[in-house]
This record gives sequence, structure tokens and C-alpha cells, in this order.
Amino acid sequence: MLSLARVALCLAALSGTALAAGSGGAAGPTWLGPRPPERPRRVVSLAPSLTDTVVALGEASRLVGVTRYDDAPEVKGLPRVGGFLDPSPEAVLALRPDLVLWLTDGGAHAAVRRMAELGAPVLAIPVVTVADVLASARRVGSALGAAEAGERLAGSLAESVARIERRAAGLPRPRVLLVIGRDPLVVAGPGSYPDALLRISGGENVATGDRPWPVYPLERAVGSNPDLVIDAAVNEPPEGISRLSAIPAVRAGRVVRLGSDDALRPGPRLVRALADLWRALHPGVEGP
Amino acid sequence: MRRGAAGRLALALLAGVAAVAGAVALSCALGPQPLSLGAALRGSEPDASILLGLRLPRALLGAVVGAGLAAAGTALQALLRNPLAEPFVLGVSGGAALGGTAVLLAATALGHLAGPAGALLSSAPPVALGAVAGAVGATALVFALGRIGGRLVPEAALLVGIVFNAFAAGVITVVKVLVPPEQAARLLYWLMGALGYETAGTLAAGGALVALAVAALVALSGRLNLLSLGDEEAASLGVDVGRSRAAVFLAASAATGAAVALAGMVGFVGLIVPHLVRRAVGPDHRLLLPASTLFGAAFLVLADLAARLAFLPLGTEPPVGALTALAGGPFFLWLLRRTERRA
Repeated sequence: MLSLARVALCLAALSGTALAAGSGGAAGPTWLGPRPPERPRRVVSLAPSLTDTVVALGEASRLVGVTRYDDAPEVKGLPRVGGFLDPSPEAVLALRPDLVLWLTDGGAHAAVRRMAELGAPVLAIPVVTVADVLASARRVGSALGAAEAGERLAGSLAESVARIERRAAGLPRPRVLLVIGRDPLVVAGPGSYPDALLRISGGENVATGDRPWPVYPLERAVGSNPDLVIDAAVNEPPEGISRLSAIPAVRAGRVVRLGSDDALRPGPRLVRALADLWRALHPGVEGP
Repeated sequence: MRRGAAGRLALALLAGVAAVAGAVALSCALGPQPLSLGAALRGSEPDASILLGLRLPRALLGAVVGAGLAAAGTALQALLRNPLAEPFVLGVSGGAALGGTAVLLAATALGHLAGPAGALLSSAPPVALGAVAGAVGATALVFALGRIGGRLVPEAALLVGIVFNAFAAGVITVVKVLVPPEQAARLLYWLMGALGYETAGTLAAGGALVALAVAALVALSGRLNLLSLGDEEAASLGVDVGRSRAAVFLAASAATGAAVALAGMVGFVGLIVPHLVRRAVGPDHRLLLPASTLFGAAFLVLADLAARLAFLPLGTEPPVGALTALAGGPFFLWLLRRTERRA
């Protein structure tokens, strides 16, 4: 089964396709290029959430390169190899990695494919859902030759999720609009990662439709009349939320601004993101 | 006299080949990572991978795209008898982008019904074919609607091209909303006009298409000289105007379509290069067309080198299309003022 998927992927790579395989969270992680050694020692991470995973596994010392968006203190001094959408194959290859971790839904297919062709072992990991986060902890753990640590990390993340879910079960579920960007208004839609976090921590997403990151008509945002607006546009100034004052909750001041982008980073920061959402959804109620 | 012409052609070709070789060599030698050429050629890693796996294919891709765009620009300028004609300005690039995008959209729709078929359709060859078809369609439209009273009016054709570009941009924006986000990101990156890392097969196929189109244009270059005199004059000199023009159309569209399929919308190469080359070698297309093709290749390789190096401290690089537009926009306006003054 696995080898069949690999053959399909090779065919896709040969014919220069968009590597549709792997995106969407249905398929599991896949290898591109040669296999890494048993215990890789020069690891490049092409996504901050995967860097977080390596750090949480206690293996930060094996990282030799990260993206320009990485802000974890453990990787502060490491060389940067470009961004999430535009990794530089030249910078990656120059680090002579024996393992490259790649989050597939970021694009950059052609550049990553070329790295693999030129001999860098690439682990392509689709991470969309909370289940993907748990699976990627295991997968990265075993790729690093630290399968036990991966198992432990996945277990502890799963436990945090279950604990919060149980605790939220008896509480009222506020209806929430989770704002990702304000101009234009982009919200977390059904199927997105923050949507899942909301559900776990006891909220109900008012955004509807079949797109995970819709550009949302302001009118519909007003019409859905959420109890609470969560402002996750952490890179924009806080006062900009007044742009959305047509939404009754914003006018009434029922807005909680998240302090970090943890809720948008599908990785071990899951725990902190759930705690933040808990405080936003159930003010005054002690978390688990 | 004939000896002189052959000598000049040889000289121009020699200079062009030297320029391409120099540009490719420079592009291979310079980049974000310090590199030992000796070590790379001895096969020591990672230098060999960076030189032969990344920089050389990218330089060759730039050469193919630049050659195609410059050749198409030269041919379109002759057909329109206007130095402002250029694949990007005339909407031919826009048409190619629209064609390629339409194929991607169809692939997405088909992917919902039958996954593998959708993936197959979104692979490089069908998208390239869509781009070529779009380029042909846009060229036909521009030349058909650019006629007033049966005569081709260059200014009208240019206006049609500009309007068509805006229309294509609108359609592509709508398509971006319709396809899944990861496809949209890929589409956006492609349309920006960036040289990336194509597979060897894609590069070879694109190169072959551009080579064919350029060969056709070179074969037609004698007739381009007559066509640039005007339809009646050309006809009175025994040229089958309709057929010759159609052949030039098709070849120029194929070159543009292949270039857009490989690198997206890189603008103004077909404007800047033929103009500068014309100043050096004169207006004879038998000389101008091959020389423009070669210098277009060198130009885009160097422009991409500049794009790779310009923002090095920031750890990023702009798409080369942004750089050519930065140079091409003012150049277009300067050329416009100059043509106006002469007329």
C-alpha cells in the first residue's frame, strides 16, 4: 500500500505535477528522494510547526537550518533557509542535510522536489487536522530515530486534547467568529485547524461554507451574530479590529485578542493554543 | 555586399553566443552560497549539486524564456510596424496565462470527479498546451480587433492588447478564488513571472518548442522585412501577406506560450532587447531576429541573477518578472515619447 503511494508520487514528480498527493490531510507522510540514515544528525525544518515538534522531542541540537519565520529560542542562532513558501534549495543543500522536514500544504513543490532529486532525504508531512499533529509527532520522532519520544509527545498532546474536551463538555458553547485577517476579512472556516481547536475547547464556529480560509463577506459575519469575536490577526495592530465594528459583538467589546499565532501553528503549541482559547471562551472558569 | 551581410550576421551571432555563454557562466558562478567551482566540477558535494543541479538548469531556463520572448517581441514589432509591440503589452502573455489557468481550473474540477485524471491534466504538458492555445487566441483577437476599415492600426491593436490584459487579470483573479488555496498559491507564484526549478523533461520540452518557433521566425525573417513596409507594399513585392502573417503569428504565439508556461508573466523582455539590438545591428530582420533571440536569452539570465542577488541580505528573492517590469515600464514610456516626437 505504502509502496503504491510511493510509485504514484514518483510518477507525479516525474511528470511535474502539483504533487496533489499529500495535500488535504487524507494521505500520510511520504518520503521524497533517498532515505535518511537511521539517526539523522543534520536536520533542516521547512516549517515553524515542524521545528516546534523537533524541539518538543528534545532534539533541537540536531537542527542545522530553519525558516525565517522560526522564533523558538532554541533555534535562534541557526541559519535561515528562506520561508515557508519560498525555501531556497541552494541554502538547504549547502547545509548538507541528512533529513529535511517539509509541511506539504505550503506550496514550494518544485523547489522541494529539486532538493530531493539532488540527494536530500525529504519527509513530506501533511498537517491539517489535530489528528495530523499527533501523527506528525510520531512520524518526526521515528524519522529522527527517537520513536519513543515521538510516541510520548503524541500521547501527551492527545491527553491534553481529551482533558480539555471533557472539561468543556458540561459548559455552554459560545458562538465564535475567529478572525485571521481583517482587510479583507478572512476567518477560520470549517475544516481549518483553528476550527478544530475551537470545537475541542468548547466553542462553536459561526463561519459556514466549505472553505477552510474563506474571504468572508462582512454582511454574513454581521448576520451570523457571534457571541464572541476572537482576533487572531496577531501581526496587525489591535485597534484595527474597529474596522469590523459592524459586527455587534465587536461594538459591544466582546473581542478577545490572541497573544500569539499558536492557534495557527499545527504542532506542539497546540497545548498553549487550547489554553488561550479556553480563557477566551470560558472567562472565569478554571481550565483543566 | 552579400559577403558583408554574411560577415555581419556571423559577427552578430558570435557576439550573441558569447553573451549567452558569459551570462550563463556568471549566473552559475554567483549565488547566495559561496561555491568552489573546482570542487563542484570534481563532483564534491554539496557544491556539485548547487552548481549543476540548481544554478545551471535555472540559467538554461532563463535563456530559453528570454530567447522566446525576445524573438516574439521582434516579430510582433515587425508585424505591427510599431516599436511598442511586445508579447506582454499586446496581451499575448495574458492570453497564455489565461489558457494555462483554464487548464489548471479544469484539472481541479476533474480532480473532484476522478483524482488521477485531474492530476494528469494539471501536469506540465497540458498546462503548456493551454498556454500556447491562449497565446494564439489572444494574438488572433488583438490583430482582428485592431483593424479599422480593414487596415491594421497599430495603436488600436495595442489598446486591444492592454484591455485584454486587464480582462485576463480579472478572470485569473476569479479563478484564484475558485481553486483550492494550495493551487491558488501555486498559480500566484507562476503568474508573478519567476524562474524556478523545472524538471529536466519540462525544460527540454519547453526548449524544443521555443527552438522550433525561433527557427520558423528566422526562416520567415526575410518576409518580415517586406511585411514591415506595410501590407500593400509587401503584396506588391510578391508576398502572400495573409499566409506569411499567419505563420509569423503562430510562431510568435508558440514562443510566447512556451515562455509563459515555463516562467509565467515576465514582461518587457521583448521590448527592451529588440530595441537595443536594433540600434546595434540595424533593422534587417535576417540579422535582427537571431541576434535579438540570443541577446534576449543573455538578458533574462542576467536579470534573474540580479533578482537572486539583489535582496540577499533579506534572505529572499523577488520574481524576475518584477525586475524586468521595473526596467521595462520606464523604457516603454521613453520609447512612447520618442516615437511620438518622430511622428
